[in-house]
Amino acid sequence: MVAKEMDFLMAEPKARRIIAYAAVNIVCVFILLLWCHSTNSMALTAYSYLAIFDLLRLLTALITLWVQKQGPSSVFSFGYERFEVLAVFSSTMLAQLGSFFIIKESVERMIQQPDVHEGRLLLGALVAFLVHIFMTYSVENKAFNHVVEASSSSWLQEHVADISEGFCKVVPGLSRLLLPRINPFALIAFAGATALFVTYVLIDMYNYQAADTWAAMCISVMTFGTMFPMAVYSGMILLQTTPTYVIGQLDKCLREASTLDGVLEFRNEHFWTLSFGKLAGSLHVRIRRDAQEQLVLAHVSSRLSNIVSDLTVQVFKDDWTRPTAYQIIHNSPFHSESSLSTIGVTPPVKLPLGSETSSMVPPGIQPFTPYKSGQYYTSTPMVPQGTSAAIYGSNPPSAFNKTDFATDSLTPIQTPQSGNMAGVIPGKNSVRLQQGYRTPDPKTGGLNSESVTLYAPGTQR
Amino acid sequence: MVARYGSGSNVLATGAIYNSPSRFTPYIGLLIVFKFLRAFGLFLSYDLLKLVHIVQFLFIVKFGAAIFLLFLQKPFTSGPRLTKRQWFRILRHAFFGSTIQLFWIFGLTLCGPVRTILLFEHSDLVVIAAASALFTGQGGSPAKIRGGVFMLLAILGILLFDHDDEAAHQSNFHPEGHHHHSSIITHMFYHAVNWSGLSDHKGGVVMLTLTICLNVGYNTASKKLSVDVGGAKRLHALSTLLSSLLLLPWASFIYFTRESQITVSWIYVLFPFIFVTLLVFILDYYVEAVCVNRLEIARTAKIGAIAIFTSAIFLGCFWNHPFVTHITTMQAVQEIVKEDHVLSGGVIFSFVLFMFSSHVLTNPNKGSKGSLVGYSAGGLPLYNMAEEAFQRTSHSVALVLKNGLKQILEESDSRRIFYFLCMNLFFTFVELVYGVWTNSLGLISDGFHMLFDCSALVMGLYAAVMSRWKATREFSYGYDRVEILSGYINGLFLVVIAFFVFTAALGRLFDPPDINTDRLLVVSVAGLVVNLFGIVAFSHGHSHGGGGGSHGHSHSKPKQHNHSHHGHGHGHHGHGHSHNSHNHSHGEQECSTKNSNMQGVFLHVLADTMGSVGVIISTILIENFGWNIADPICSLFIAFMIFLSVVPLLKDTAFVLLLRSPLEIEESLQVALQKVLSIDGVLSLRKQQFWSHTSSVMCGSIHVVTSPDASEQKIVSQVTAIFKELGVQNLTVQVEKEAYFQHMSGLSSNFDVIVEMTKNIKALNFQDPHSIKAV
Repeated sequence: MVAKEMDFLMAEPKARRIIAYAAVNIVCVFILLLWCHSTNSMALTAYSYLAIFDLLRLLTALITLWVQKQGPSSVFSFGYERFEVLAVFSSTMLAQLGSFFIIKESVERMIQQPDVHEGRLLLGALVAFLVHIFMTYSVENKAFNHVVEASSSSWLQEHVADISEGFCKVVPGLSRLLLPRINPFALIAFAGATALFVTYVLIDMYNYQAADTWAAMCISVMTFGTMFPMAVYSGMILLQTTPTYVIGQLDKCLREASTLDGVLEFRNEHFWTLSFGKLAGSLHVRIRRDAQEQLVLAHVSSRLSNIVSDLTVQVFKDDWTRPTAYQIIHNSPFHSESSLSTIGVTPPVKLPLGSETSSMVPPGIQPFTPYKSGQYYTSTPMVPQGTSAAIYGSNPPSAFNKTDFATDSLTPIQTPQSGNMAGVIPGKNSVRLQQGYRTPDPKTGGLNSESVTLYAPGTQR
Repeated sequence: MVARYGSGSNVLATGAIYNSPSRFTPYIGLLIVFKFLRAFGLFLSYDLLKLVHIVQFLFIVKFGAAIFLLFLQKPFTSGPRLTKRQWFRILRHAFFGSTIQLFWIFGLTLCGPVRTILLFEHSDLVVIAAASALFTGQGGSPAKIRGGVFMLLAILGILLFDHDDEAAHQSNFHPEGHHHHSSIITHMFYHAVNWSGLSDHKGGVVMLTLTICLNVGYNTASKKLSVDVGGAKRLHALSTLLSSLLLLPWASFIYFTRESQITVSWIYVLFPFIFVTLLVFILDYYVEAVCVNRLEIARTAKIGAIAIFTSAIFLGCFWNHPFVTHITTMQAVQEIVKEDHVLSGGVIFSFVLFMFSSHVLTNPNKGSKGSLVGYSAGGLPLYNMAEEAFQRTSHSVALVLKNGLKQILEESDSRRIFYFLCMNLFFTFVELVYGVWTNSLGLISDGFHMLFDCSALVMGLYAAVMSRWKATREFSYGYDRVEILSGYINGLFLVVIAFFVFTAALGRLFDPPDINTDRLLVVSVAGLVVNLFGIVAFSHGHSHGGGGGSHGHSHSKPKQHNHSHHGHGHGHHGHGHSHNSHNHSHGEQECSTKNSNMQGVFLHVLADTMGSVGVIISTILIENFGWNIADPICSLFIAFMIFLSVVPLLKDTAFVLLLRSPLEIEESLQVALQKVLSIDGVLSLRKQQFWSHTSSVMCGSIHVVTSPDASEQKIVSQVTAIFKELGVQNLTVQVEKEAYFQHMSGLSSNFDVIVEMTKNIKALNFQDPHSIKAV
């Protein structure tokens, strides 16, 4: 099975490049470990672990490529995107455990300092530095890029940012380069190389052997500090937690939704990060006995769908076995007959265009006809007029407001059916917190081929 | 409006506080000059101290200062009358003050003026800032922490890297038999220093460091007294007078009992004494007070520190130049006492660090971290500072420990880990102590190794405690998953260990070193016993605790069920899967409901045991047959075993973390889904997502598309019942009718959603025979 997947991946030029880099990396790691053995230097060992970490990062990039080709399956019903998260977590965790091990070895060395041969020390440092920098900047690693941007700063980054802030006061031009924060991988590469250089000088000039052990400690502590925020970030995703920064936003949405007509309370609110920048959630909504489930469901889902992309809402009533007056109306033969007639329209475009639609939409953008708001709600005989007025009277759904169309940056696109400008897609997708990160693939997202053709040739993708 | 603001800013501009820098220049200049003079005075007093005993020196200087201060301050005539109690407090103040100053001057004689200035001439502000940054964690910005670390490094630099000219030092200033060596403090000091094995100028460094901390505390404590007495200056004057009176008996005792070895006339040293009194004790005090008033206190501290450090280094370079000695009229001393303290690389290094740290620590704070709340109408960012204050509720350490211990002992898993951890730590401690006692490096490093292994236990313990925490907003399902994550991390840990053992073994395979098997056997057997104990303890809970995963509880409260089963886990191995109608899942469930965290800990102990066994075998082989190669082969084997044992754990936990649909109900899930489809009114299913939250708790969510005339509530209850039978406690059922998709497509402004809804309606139409008929 793995072989099949590998064949599948090898077809991709990007994957081939990553595998070639990984081969180079393995060779370098091997050479570095040999040199570590021959120099007997702990600091160099600590530094060459960064190269091993690079290997793990390349692997993560490969997994990202693989994941992008997968859709949800029956076994992994949420899709394979969490593999990336686990890969990031594992590699950062392994790096931390490795540095922890180095710290332990260094403590043991402090008791009994063996001799270090400084011959290949500088060369090894140079090789490890070059490998690390090359692997950091040459490979596009979406998962790690996201984590680097989204996780909180490591203490190393914070200190460097603090220093460079002072530095940028003197030379303002550098602020673009140094602020707000430097890539942590580049930072650890520079810091580790500096430590190794100092070690080399100290051993070469003063024969101060303990410097090697101290440098190893420094490098390990720095590695630990660098990896820690990333591990925390990805670990929190694995623990199915709500990110703190969306709690406020979620609360706002829930508050908004709780004012909907018929909604009594929310229970079992579970919102959690599915993968990088993608939220999933489930919610139980208790509604009044005479409220209409499908309407409330639609409203709650649409409120939350901006934030939570994978949402399940259970609408429930207390004491539902006793029929209400509303249910009697709802289940009347007239009602079901009329609703069936609306189902009959297969391509939604054929729905008649409402007279007031043109006045609802800002000039220049023709609405996507079948689903335009006012028209739909006035033309369907679904809800008795009085009820619908009661539901919408208290707080009109925001999607119907003109302002919503105006504030979102909308791109008109062409539909093959009508030929004119129809429908809207948001230019900036607010659902995904990380911009540009992994919008669902047309294939995996479950869009059929017909709907894909709705995208105009000039738009994204 | 605008005009008023304009005039307001004008007032501010001409006011005392906000001003152009040029107004401050005279004060800065004054401060720098007098700090230089203070440094000069300290150098001078160092030379004087070679002639005069420290107590006498302090007495003379204090007495002189008191006379000056009496004239300047007139403490008796000005200000309110002092009560008896206040006099007593001033006396106490004077006593502590003169004690601290005695230490300081003693430090000066030991370390020389340059080091004394570098160590002691810090303002209280700097010391407090450094201490709070280093020790409280609330020091503020990273810059302060850096300043604190540099301060510490600077002190260490003087202590460790300053190779003072010790040969000269030893010959001239050797403590034993020297004329300084006569007072009680000196005696005690030299005993302490001899005991700790430091050279005495390093002892002086330690003493000065402690003294400055004392001094900061003393200054802070005397603030209240100075307010009561009526001003810091009055207190200073009175306290100086009293301390000179306190020192008088001691000084005269020394004067009469011990004849001076260096016979210099008092006239000869009178001028330097006046100079020192004026510069070090009077003028510096007043100038600093003025500058603190005019400049800010932080700025005074910064400029003062930089000025005095620089002048100390400057004077240190030139002090013993003949030209300078001519001016300072200290030739007499020079002839008697040779040059002893020299500048070294360590001092310069510390000087740079001290300059840097006092610069950083006196920088104004950038303000504490606040969380961004939003933007004001004017577009300025608004921060919320209150949050941090709320979080900083401090508990006493004892209370935290007590609560933690209670939590740990509440429940069997964590209790077991805790007891084993204690045993392990005790063993480690004994090993380390014995290693230090017998000076055996092998034992000590093995002790560290054990300590390192304990870290996995600590993590397991923490996870076991944490998993019982109540659900919060952030952790909406509760903290149970922490156990899975901890199990996974422990698995990774073991992989790393296996990797290290493997690489080390490879290295030794190619050149096997001579192994010293001395005492190895005893240690490894002892380790084996400890670990076997652990294996017994953990595997006991392992087999039984696993079975208790789903004994019959009321299913109405899924969370509590899940919390409570940990508590009674091992007691209920007569597990009744009463709710589980599927027999084939019975056995599978039992093996998979075991606690991953405990499994991780167990594997760790197992790996350690294997290590001990390996060491025992290889030791026997080496001792009896001399096969040195046995050791790496054993290691390779152990690495392989560890890796193999860890793979299942890693796989299990990774599947849970990846939200794979639960293995043990995979088949029955398909059956259940078919059942749901067969419910009256159900047309199709979407997004049927099931995952195990922990090994015992399963969650799921499902979208059921129904025909328009079906009753939602009925379907919800039916579907819930079907899955409850499977053991899915946390289920969310979304019942969708055709109306929902229409509503959704009307409501959403998102194109993707519209497209999806269209598709869903279409799918619905194809599945619903009635609707096709209607077309």
